[in-house]
Amino acid sequence: MDVIELDEVHKSYDGIPVLRGVSLRVPQGIVYGMLGPHGAGKTTLIHLLLGFLRPDRGVIRMFGSNNLHQVDGRVGYVPERLRYHNRYTVREYLWYLGRFSGLSGATLRRRVDAEISACGLTSVANRPMSALSRGMVQRVGIAQALLSEPDLLLIDEPTASLDPEGQQDVIELLAAVRRRGCTILMATHFLDEADLLCDRIGILHGGRIIAEADTCTLQRPAGSVVITVADMPAAAKSALTALSPAVQCNRHEITLTPNTPELQAQVVRLLLDHGVTIMTLAPQRHPIEEFYLAAVSGHAKRDRSSEAPTSRLQGSEDVLLHELLRQEEQQTSEDQRSKHL
Amino acid sequence: MNALVRTFWFAVFTLDEYLRSGRIMVELAATAVAYYLFFRRWTTPMTPDYFFSTAGLFMLGLTVYTGSSILALGDRPAGYVALARRLGRGPYLMGLYLAVLAVSWGMYGAVCLLVAFTNPLRSLDFIGWVLGTIPLLLNLALLAAFLALLTPMVLPAPWRLAVLALVALAFSGSLIGGATMSSLPESVAIALDVMRTILSAPLLPAFTGFAISVSRDYSGASAVVPVAQLFLVIGLLAFAVYSFAKREIVFSG
Repeated sequence: MDVIELDEVHKSYDGIPVLRGVSLRVPQGIVYGMLGPHGAGKTTLIHLLLGFLRPDRGVIRMFGSNNLHQVDGRVGYVPERLRYHNRYTVREYLWYLGRFSGLSGATLRRRVDAEISACGLTSVANRPMSALSRGMVQRVGIAQALLSEPDLLLIDEPTASLDPEGQQDVIELLAAVRRRGCTILMATHFLDEADLLCDRIGILHGGRIIAEADTCTLQRPAGSVVITVADMPAAAKSALTALSPAVQCNRHEITLTPNTPELQAQVVRLLLDHGVTIMTLAPQRHPIEEFYLAAVSGHAKRDRSSEAPTSRLQGSEDVLLHELLRQEEQQTSEDQRSKHL
Repeated sequence: MNALVRTFWFAVFTLDEYLRSGRIMVELAATAVAYYLFFRRWTTPMTPDYFFSTAGLFMLGLTVYTGSSILALGDRPAGYVALARRLGRGPYLMGLYLAVLAVSWGMYGAVCLLVAFTNPLRSLDFIGWVLGTIPLLLNLALLAAFLALLTPMVLPAPWRLAVLALVALAFSGSLIGGATMSSLPESVAIALDVMRTILSAPLLPAFTGFAISVSRDYSGASAVVPVAQLFLVIGLLAFAVYSFAKREIVFSG
């Protein structure tokens, strides 16, 4: 069964198209990663699913129903920006939100305690939200979304405004949430996040899902390194091949899969012994990154070869993207200012 | 969970946040100043008419501030988290509205208590106080409902402007009159008069409500004025809830 079904969904703001025929299926029980740059329409898509916005055209079904309000209680939502009612303590806030979700009495207390514990908030449960770090606030965001034990979780850029440590914390927490088995639709522009958490990814670009793939088909052993050389003599090539089955080489490129520091040192020493000039040594690009870039560049080429109206739309998207980026910068500076205060 | 319970909890949530924000200090300070200036014991005793007319006007001003502040709390992105639950849009808006009423009516209660303890109105018994208070509180409810309707999250900008223009037209009698009116072509003057009469009809309960609050005279048709006020409140709220339910939600900020 598909938990989310979108057919040719269009949405524009004041005549500026943001989504231009998005079709998407998210089967039950998977984690679907929606990848795309800022301003691609990821938040718009999530707000359409939540019923905050209405599509100009197209059909949205959740749990097989066209009436999105019927499924309110089955959906948890983690918003993009860390904007919560921060005058409450964590426990009070979760208690109120649980009330709005229809929980009460002992059930409400049990659910609040369970999520505080599961999301690692026990030590800050009685602190005001305004005194928490961004990483902790995002943990509260995840806890509130899970409070009513939803069947579907919509997560919008969960680590976008966090420092690396906070990002790691939230990714670990989401990995734990993933094990609970609920369906997750996660919008992100971080490829590592998608790689670690998602079963399937779709790339939202130019207002459409331009490519989809199961992440298992994109997996490659981690820690590959590519060494580019000026020119490799045959003797060096045969010596390298004999060194380890992890070494694959051609005239200008040597790939170490999987790479280890010892193997890398051996290969570099051998190349230098044979007088080979090493041009670069770099980790191999991530398969999801390759997939993303190939999809986006392929789409860009198609866009360039298409007619003038498409270019005009692209121009309007740039205006919107610019505006969204401006708002984001403004929000970041506001957040910093309020943090400072 | 039924809608009434959800509305109640969202009102409590909003009120709790408003109190924690400290903005209630503005209402408390304004009430203290108003008490000092208008209601404390001066040389001559205060009459009930003076009390209800002054309190009625002061509370209207205070409700504009309270309404704007509390409704602004609902019009910000944190609201998405609340609305993504089973809360529903109707209980969301009504919760904000009830929080405005709680503060506004609470402040009126505070004024009444201060007056009762420090400068009691000898010629006003409890029944008289109730008779003057009911239309006054209904007028505050009416103003709060009007403010809820004019919130950006409820009505789009052109509609808000249109509503304000209609209200301005209804009030234009005190602005366009005498020489200006007589200089207009007769057909325009008649049309303007007709429009004023039609548009001022919905405002009638508010004005007569204020008059009854001051006089506490419910004789004749005046007895139906509080009922008219109540219906107007319900009508405005129904329109606001309907409009909010139909709108796309894009919170400010």
